[in-house]
Amino acid sequence: MEKKSGMKKIGVMIAVTVLIALFVVGYRNGALHAQTREVLVGAVFPLSGPLAPIGQHLRCGADIAIEEINQAGGIKSLGGARLKVIYGDSTGDAKVGVTEMEKLITKDKVSVVTGAYQSGVTLPMTTVSERYGVPFYATGSEDQITERGYKFTFRSNEKTSWRVRDQVKFIMDMGRRFNDPVKTAALVYENTAWGQGAHRDWLKNLGEAGIKIVIDESYPNATTDLTPVVVKLKAANPDGIFYCSYVSDAILLIKTIAEMEVNAKAIVGLSGGTADPNFIPGVGKSCLYTFDCVRWEPDIPRHGAKALCEKYQKRCGVIMDTEVMKQYTYMYVIVEAIDQAGSTDPKKIRDALEKIHIKAPDPAIKFVEDELYFDHTGQVFKGSMVGVQFREIDGQIQRVTIWPKQVARKGIDPVWPMPKWSERKK
Amino acid sequence: MMNGSHRKVAPKEKRFHGGEKMETYIQAIVNGFLMGSMYGLIAFGLTLVFGIMRVINFAHASLLMMAMFLAYGLCQVGMNPYLSLIIVVPVFFGLGYVLQRTLIERALKMEAGVREPMSVLLLTAGLLVLFENLVLLGVGPDYRTAKTIYTGATFKVSGIIIKTAWFYGFLATMISYFLLSSFLKWTWLGQAIRAAGQDRDAARLMGIDHYHIYGVAFGIGMALVGLSGTILVPFYYIHPAVGWVFGIGSFIIVILGGLGSTAGAFWGGVIIGLIESLGAQFMNATWTIVVVYGVFLAILFIRPAGLFGLKFEW
Repeated sequence: MEKKSGMKKIGVMIAVTVLIALFVVGYRNGALHAQTREVLVGAVFPLSGPLAPIGQHLRCGADIAIEEINQAGGIKSLGGARLKVIYGDSTGDAKVGVTEMEKLITKDKVSVVTGAYQSGVTLPMTTVSERYGVPFYATGSEDQITERGYKFTFRSNEKTSWRVRDQVKFIMDMGRRFNDPVKTAALVYENTAWGQGAHRDWLKNLGEAGIKIVIDESYPNATTDLTPVVVKLKAANPDGIFYCSYVSDAILLIKTIAEMEVNAKAIVGLSGGTADPNFIPGVGKSCLYTFDCVRWEPDIPRHGAKALCEKYQKRCGVIMDTEVMKQYTYMYVIVEAIDQAGSTDPKKIRDALEKIHIKAPDPAIKFVEDELYFDHTGQVFKGSMVGVQFREIDGQIQRVTIWPKQVARKGIDPVWPMPKWSERKK
Repeated sequence: MMNGSHRKVAPKEKRFHGGEKMETYIQAIVNGFLMGSMYGLIAFGLTLVFGIMRVINFAHASLLMMAMFLAYGLCQVGMNPYLSLIIVVPVFFGLGYVLQRTLIERALKMEAGVREPMSVLLLTAGLLVLFENLVLLGVGPDYRTAKTIYTGATFKVSGIIIKTAWFYGFLATMISYFLLSSFLKWTWLGQAIRAAGQDRDAARLMGIDHYHIYGVAFGIGMALVGLSGTILVPFYYIHPAVGWVFGIGSFIIVILGGLGSTAGAFWGGVIIGLIESLGAQFMNATWTIVVVYGVFLAILFIRPAGLFGLKFEW
C-alpha cells in the first residue's frame, strides 16, 4: 500500500512537472509567436486642434486599409503577421509632432512611421527618423522633405512644385480653351512651410507663363479674419486668384470673397483645405465655379475605387478626398515593404522601400497610380494632377474633375470664366 | 452655359484712381472697426473677471467655443441666432456663477491671502483643456457653419459693403457695453461688485458677501462670453479648437487696454481690428501681426498699465 501510494506521488509529481514544463514552453512559444505575429506601425496625424477633421479622416482611411490587409492574411513573409497601427496626435504643431515621433520610435518601438499631413510638421519629423534610423514614409508636399539627402525618408505624395506646375498648366489650358486667358494673378497663402513652398513655385511657374503677379500675400494660418486680405484683392482686381490654405482659413477666405464680391476669371486652390470634405459644407454656395488641383478624385474612373469610396463614406461619414486616398494607399505600400523585407527590423524595411517597384493591378496603388518606385532621394518618381471645378449638380455641390480631358467627368462642361457675383442668385 | 457670356473682357474702365483707393481704405476702416469692436466684446468677459476677482481665466477661449456650440445647436433647431441670446446668455450666467461657487471659490479660499492666486490660474488652464477635449469627444472634429438668414448677407452704404452679421455684432457690443457700464455705476449690486474689486477686505467689512459678488461677476463675465459666441455664429465656423483663434488675441487686447478696464477692452479691440484691416492694405497680412505686437510692446513701454489701466477704474 505504502509503496503504491509513493509511486502514485511520484507519478503525480512527474505529471505536474511535465504539465508545468509544457505550459511554460507553450507560453514562451506563444509569446514569441505573438511578437512576430504583430508588426507595429506608427502614424502621426493632427487628431486634435484646428486640423482635427482631416486627422481623424486620415486615421479612419488608414484603419480601413489595415483591416483589409489583416483580413486578407496579414504579412505573408512573416507567417501572416498582423499589422497594428499606433497613432500619435501632432495637434497640428511641429513641436508636438516631433515628440510623438520620438515616443513612437523609442517607447512603442515601431518599425516604420507614416504621417503627418502638414509639411511644416513633417519636415522636422524627418530629422528624428534619420537620427534613430527608422524609416519615415512621409506625406506633406513641401519639396524639401525629400531633398535634404536623408536616407530614411520616403514619400509618394506629390511635391508642391509638381502641384503648382500642374495647377498653372491647368489654368493656362482653360484660358486657351475658352480664349480668355488669365494675365494677372494674386497669390494668397498660409505662411508655414507648405505655403512658402507654393509661393516659391508660383513665382517660377507664373513667371514662365508670362503672368503678372499683382498681389503677393501671406497670412498666419490661425488668423481670425481674412477680410483685410480680401479687401486688398478686390482693389487689385486680378484675373486669377491662386490660394494655398488649410481648411479653416480656406473657409474664411472663400466665404469672404463671396461676401465682398471679388470677381475673378478663376479662383484656384492647391489641395489641402480646399479638398477637405469640411470645405463644401463650410462655405456652401460661395465655392461654386472655383477650382482646385489635386492628385486624385473620386470621379476619376479607376476600377474598384467606387466601392472603396462607398465603404469609406459609410464608415467615416464623409466623402473620400485625395489626402485620405493617398494615406490609404500608403498603408498598402508599407505592408508591401515589410513583406519584402521579411522582417520587422527598421533598417531592413528601409532597404525594401528603396528597392520597391509596384505596378498597377497591385492593390497597393491601383486607385492612384499605374506604377510606384522611389528615386535616389526617396521621392516617388512622378505624380500627375487633375483639375477640379466646384459645381452644383442636382442641388448638391460637388467637385467635378474637368482637366485633363481624358479623365474629365463626362457630360459636364467647365464654366470659364467664373460668373460674376452680380450675375448669380444669392 | 455661361461660357460665352463675357468672353471678351472690355478694357478696364479708367476710373479716378484716388477715389478708388479712398474707397478701399474706407472699406478697410469700416471692416476693422466692426470686427475690432467684436474682438473687444470677446475680451470684455476676460477683463471683467480679472478686474474684480484678479483671476486670469484661461478657460475663456474654450467657454467661448462652448457658447458658439450652444448657439449653433439652437440655430440648427430653427431658432433665430439673435433670439437664441435669451437662452445662451442666462445659461452662461448660470454656468459662470456655478463654476465660481464650486471650483474657483475653493481655489481662491486656499490662497486667500495671495493677491494673484496661482492655483486658480492652473485650475482655469486645466478647464480650458478639459472643455475642449470634452467637446471634441462629444461632437467630433468637423467644422460646422450655421446656415442663418444673416450668413453671407451684406448691405451697401454708398459703395461700402457691410456684412450684416458684423453690423449686428457691433450693435450688440455697443448695447452690452452701455448696459454693463450703467449697471456697474448705478445699481447697488454693481457698486458692490466694484467695491469687491477695489478692496475685497474693505468690502467684506461693509457687509458685502464677496464670494456671492464674485459669483455674480464671473456670471456676468460668462454671460458676455455667451453673447460673444452667439454673435459669432452667423458668420464664423464652429469647431472645438475655435476658441484658440480668438483666445490669444483677447489676452493681448486686455493687456493693451489695461487689465480690468472695460473701456480698455473695447478700444484695445478696435485698435487691433484697425491695425489688421487697414495695415493689410499697406503691407503683407503676416506683417500686420508684427505691427500688432509692436504696438502692444510700445504701449506697455509707455504705459505699463495699458491704455486705460488705472488703479481704480470704476
